[in-house]
Amino acid sequence: MKRSGWRKLFIDIWKVKEIYILLIPGVIWYIVFAYIPIYGLTLAFKSYNAALGIFHSPWIGFENYRYVFRDPEFWSAIWRTLYINLGRVIFEFPFPIILALILNEVRVNRYKKVLQTVYTFPHFLSWVIVASIMINTLSSRGLVNALISVFGGEAVNFLGSTKLFIPMLYVTNIWKSAGWTMIIYLAAIAGIDTEQYESAIIDGASRLQMMRYITLPGIKSTIEILLILQIGNIMTQGFDQIFNLSNPATSKVGEILDMYIYRITFLGPADFSFSTAVSLFRSVINFAFLILADRAAKMLGSEGLFA
Amino acid sequence: MSSIHRRIELLDIILLIFLTIWAGVIILPFLNVVGVSFATEKEYYNSMLVLIPKKVTLDNYKVLFQDGRIWIGYRTTLLLVLFGVSLNMFLTTTMAYALSRPIPFRRFFVYFIVITMMFNGGIIPLYLLMKQLNLINTLWSVILAYGVNSFYLIIMRNYFMSLPVSLIESAKLDGASEWRILFSIVLPISMPIIATITLFYTVDRWNEWFNAMIFIRERTLLTLQLALRSIVLERQSSQYFSASEIYTKQFSEGMKMAAVVVTMLPVMCVYPFLQKYFVKGILIGAIKG
Repeated sequence: MKRSGWRKLFIDIWKVKEIYILLIPGVIWYIVFAYIPIYGLTLAFKSYNAALGIFHSPWIGFENYRYVFRDPEFWSAIWRTLYINLGRVIFEFPFPIILALILNEVRVNRYKKVLQTVYTFPHFLSWVIVASIMINTLSSRGLVNALISVFGGEAVNFLGSTKLFIPMLYVTNIWKSAGWTMIIYLAAIAGIDTEQYESAIIDGASRLQMMRYITLPGIKSTIEILLILQIGNIMTQGFDQIFNLSNPATSKVGEILDMYIYRITFLGPADFSFSTAVSLFRSVINFAFLILADRAAKMLGSEGLFA
Repeated sequence: MSSIHRRIELLDIILLIFLTIWAGVIILPFLNVVGVSFATEKEYYNSMLVLIPKKVTLDNYKVLFQDGRIWIGYRTTLLLVLFGVSLNMFLTTTMAYALSRPIPFRRFFVYFIVITMMFNGGIIPLYLLMKQLNLINTLWSVILAYGVNSFYLIIMRNYFMSLPVSLIESAKLDGASEWRILFSIVLPISMPIIATITLFYTVDRWNEWFNAMIFIRERTLLTLQLALRSIVLERQSSQYFSASEIYTKQFSEGMKMAAVVVTMLPVMCVYPFLQKYFVKGILIGAIKG
């Protein structure tokens, strides 16, 4: 019975061997460049030795974590990451929703298309480019300080000030990504049943009322999913942005966990096991946040991410 | 009744003003960059703000191209796009097609992919792997590190699964091989998704810098983004406020902004025409995902 089961399976696979051959290159790529690095996370419990490599370095249990947990810079990087990225949920998250609700009200289709193109464009530029643009715009001779001086204010050193650095992270990220996220909400709005609006118009509802009672509830599940995803990214968000926007004056206020990992790994004498231990810890917290956000959303009656 | 009508008109105007201001917030920084890149040093320091320079000069671009880094950047990034996107499309298309067909262990392979969307080893194991494979300081490290984007793969697979099965079955009855079915039947009718995903990969490759920064120390293999980074951050101190410093340094701002323009110009030129493909891509992803 068992043998014939294996035989049948083998025959089934042999029948589709051509498809399996198509699958091979991709699977090899995943094994080598995704799964071996995942296995490489075991370095967190090893003492890395360059001569022995990832696979043969000796196991040392939780030894690395004794040092990680004793490092005050590690803890401050964690709190800074949570602080900055929770701020993103509060200050950045609502903006694309508002933008989508407003753009949806525009009846002139041509103008709507133009606005959409303008809003989404910065998303396709790297943070290297956007940071360069922002450094210029926020500089002493840039756009923003020119506006401030027109109104008689003092020039502000936006990117060199430790106080303003984090707010600037929110502003520049909204500038870059809000338009693109808006598209997702616009798609959700387009999926709302138009009959609801028609009957609301007959009932004499105003446009603001329709926005509040039809459109907003209509995109509720999209909002929830994006919120869960954002919370599930709380430990990993923002490296590209901060790496390119920070400078010696602000490098401390912006040192989120990923910046800390980069600094201890690639700037100075590296202890790859220590770095991997930090990196694994970060992934675990991150995953915990994702699951927690999902559970919380389900408890509040939403569908959540994982069915 | 008419009062309600008028209130609606007012609302429209307020919303349009808000949206137009936001469009200005997006556009003006670009204009500022382009303006400075064509401005003379004198105008930059004498006027409060350069949006459209009174005296247009190409000096900044001359200095930039003499510097050479931007050429290195363009060469590396064009190679990266050429080889990288080819590899991306080959791996993604074959795998997406194979997983759209009914085969044993299909669920296993789909999970095999989805798991990597939630967990990854991060940069350190990947760096050590590249070292062990002797790929450090070669373009191959960057090409291979980003072989398949699981999200794009799933989008493409969903598209293939939405195609009529009868089309493929009848080709099979005619004795066509799977390879042939993929290339002469499935791909020709899947051009919209192929175009969209190719575009996504091209942009990703164009913007590639982090892996390249970690894996490649060789100055002759700078990617375009890293060339820009090294130019803009070269005199990072210039963004600090120091009155004495402002007049002593040479006009590097203009050259930096010229570098920004040269780096983003290709994206800027094609984006308005290809925007609908990008949007289509995210919509397919949003609906199916």
